[in-house]
Amino acid sequence: MFSLVVSATNWSLTREEPFRFVGLANFAQLFGDKEFWQYFINTGYLMLGMPIAIAGSLCLALLLSQKLRGVVIYRTMFYLPSFTSGVALLILWKALYNPQFGPINAALGPIFQWFGGQAPEWLLSTKNLLGLHAEDIRLVWAQFGLGARDAMIFMGIWISIGGSNMLLYLAGLSNIPQELFEAAQIDGAGPWATFRHVTWPQLAPTTFFILVMSFIGGLQGGFESARVLTAGGPAGTTTTLAYYIYTKAFEEFQIGYASAVSWVLFIIIAVVTLLNWKFGSRETNDA
Amino acid sequence: MKWVFAGAFVLLCLLAIPAYRGSHDPVTAGKTRIVWISDDNPVRKGQIELFNKTHPSIELKIDPTNAGMEKVIVQSLAGVGPDLFDCYNPFQLSAYVRAGIAADITDDMLKAGVDVGKIIWPAVKVTCVRDERAYGFPCNAACDAVWFNKKLFEEARIPYPDHQMTWDELIALAKRLTVREADGRAKQFGLLCDWWQWQSFIAMWGGSIFSADGSQCVVDSPEAIAAVQFLHDLIYVHKVMPSPADEASATQGGWGSGTISFFSGDKGAMAFGGRWWLCTLRMSKDLRSGVMPAPFGPGGVYRGYGRSTLVSANSKNRAAALEFMKYLAGPDYNQLLNDQGDALAPVPAYCQGERFLHNPEYPQETDNQVWADAMAKGVPDQVSPYVNGNLANRILTKQLDLVKNDQKTAADALRSAAKRINEEIAKGRAMAAAAGVAGRAGTAEKTGGRP
Repeated sequence: MFSLVVSATNWSLTREEPFRFVGLANFAQLFGDKEFWQYFINTGYLMLGMPIAIAGSLCLALLLSQKLRGVVIYRTMFYLPSFTSGVALLILWKALYNPQFGPINAALGPIFQWFGGQAPEWLLSTKNLLGLHAEDIRLVWAQFGLGARDAMIFMGIWISIGGSNMLLYLAGLSNIPQELFEAAQIDGAGPWATFRHVTWPQLAPTTFFILVMSFIGGLQGGFESARVLTAGGPAGTTTTLAYYIYTKAFEEFQIGYASAVSWVLFIIIAVVTLLNWKFGSRETNDA
Repeated sequence: MKWVFAGAFVLLCLLAIPAYRGSHDPVTAGKTRIVWISDDNPVRKGQIELFNKTHPSIELKIDPTNAGMEKVIVQSLAGVGPDLFDCYNPFQLSAYVRAGIAADITDDMLKAGVDVGKIIWPAVKVTCVRDERAYGFPCNAACDAVWFNKKLFEEARIPYPDHQMTWDELIALAKRLTVREADGRAKQFGLLCDWWQWQSFIAMWGGSIFSADGSQCVVDSPEAIAAVQFLHDLIYVHKVMPSPADEASATQGGWGSGTISFFSGDKGAMAFGGRWWLCTLRMSKDLRSGVMPAPFGPGGVYRGYGRSTLVSANSKNRAAALEFMKYLAGPDYNQLLNDQGDALAPVPAYCQGERFLHNPEYPQETDNQVWADAMAKGVPDQVSPYVNGNLANRILTKQLDLVKNDQKTAADALRSAAKRINEEIAKGRAMAAAAGVAGRAGTAEKTGGRP
């Protein structure tokens, strides 16, 4: 609530002008702020990996719910990234993405060369798979490729596949009544039909919960990786709304404006969550 | 189960006791403790030890974990800030003063016989003196010159440079000293330079970021564009400097920055850097280096920079903090700093004579006069009172990233940056006019005052 009050002020820690209430001026400024929209798009772009991460978690949970020898060890190994220090993981990925000496380019380099191209520069490049322009909100062919934003997505997928989503799916799978599988077997259903008509519908509440949480996490995310790996660059392409709030508040000391951005982010998250509930819960109940 | 949880709780409480005691190092009886927020450069230890030795009633402790402008401001405003903290540029000084956390020490220093603005290198005055009022004292001062690796020169059978070259001569030399593998990958670069030194090139080319009164961003001037384009061309046209991809292979920035690692690891024959590299380079026992003056750009000057320590307005130990300021101005510290090689001593009077020129511990270092001569030609960084310095820096960094990645020409990038910064300046001036004050800071703050 304090930040809501602050968002209606021109509060700056460096006292660039006398403190006063400015009403909705910060919000009005924000909607005309090209950077805000650019970073909003960055935030959305980084969430493109979300469906793959969720599907990956489900596949992994299905594999790890099998009665295999040493399954506990496998589960622990896949969960390792979730309890390893975030900064340590990020530094590891920075080394993996090194364009000259990183193992990723060592593996991909020959493939790209075979096609007559060059291996991506990953964290140093503004290119992306949608061809988003580095400065303006438009698409350009010259920007098509793999760059810092995509590097963040791939890293995020790797980290989240074996994380809490996998655990939630494992819990969801263990709660499906065994009778349903037995009935499907008696009816002659194969593995795919069993998954489609039994497992997937039974996991719908879990999937819905994961989807809601992923949206919330995605909209709030990107700070740690941008801070450690790219400082929001190159040219602001990995700056997310969360990182922008930090920059405005603690680098440029515009606490009032940063509070306004925070509240707009909160409203976006609330609206997306409500839409998820409205449409998602209906689908879940239908299932 | 409840006993397990209770046991774990008791164990954690017991472990918290030594942790608390360890984190609250008691002050030695009869001493006043002052806390200095600074970086943890290894040479800092010697500087602190000398102060504590010469001031037995004071205990100076460094706190590197809270370095960062945002932490200093927030903690100080909350009443838990340090007694002393570092300041790297005029924008930071301006922000600290406006935030009310930098103490005006002008009169105290004058009483002690120290006229801060007059005894220090002019180029670093902007980091501790504002509107002719002193808020701290510089810890060091630097202008860049060109380091060279004697071993790589010998391998290339090229004599050591012995005079100040032109940039054309230096580029020709750097080309000869750039060695590539059969696949084109550079094994050794002719010249190394950190991209963040773009400001140095703008200064050398006679350009500037802001107009003299700070009312306009002029980073799109022909001089500034030529300077940044020149830096770009060193990478992409002359191919004597590492590209961003090459740089990514080096370590993080700071006092052990990537370029220093490249240079000390025989990956660069020459490097554009300051005397502050010396304290790190000395750790490379096999490195034999020399120094020559950097070529002049059209401006005939070098960019001066440095680090000052300011006294907190909220310090409860102001007298002890002032003792530290006097220490920074005195011979003990200045001579120690020159000996340590942490850039140049802040007081020019100590950067001359046999004591400075020939350190008996390092007889091979015979180039100290080069650093003092360069410093005499140093010009200060600039600031505009109408725009937040960090915002201006972010706008510039964003555009310069595109130049560095060869995605935009220097002219296009700097014009975009200047346009955006001038929009911010216009807003700042409008705000200042509305508030009825002379400038955004409420004072007639002037820029660096270049000679």
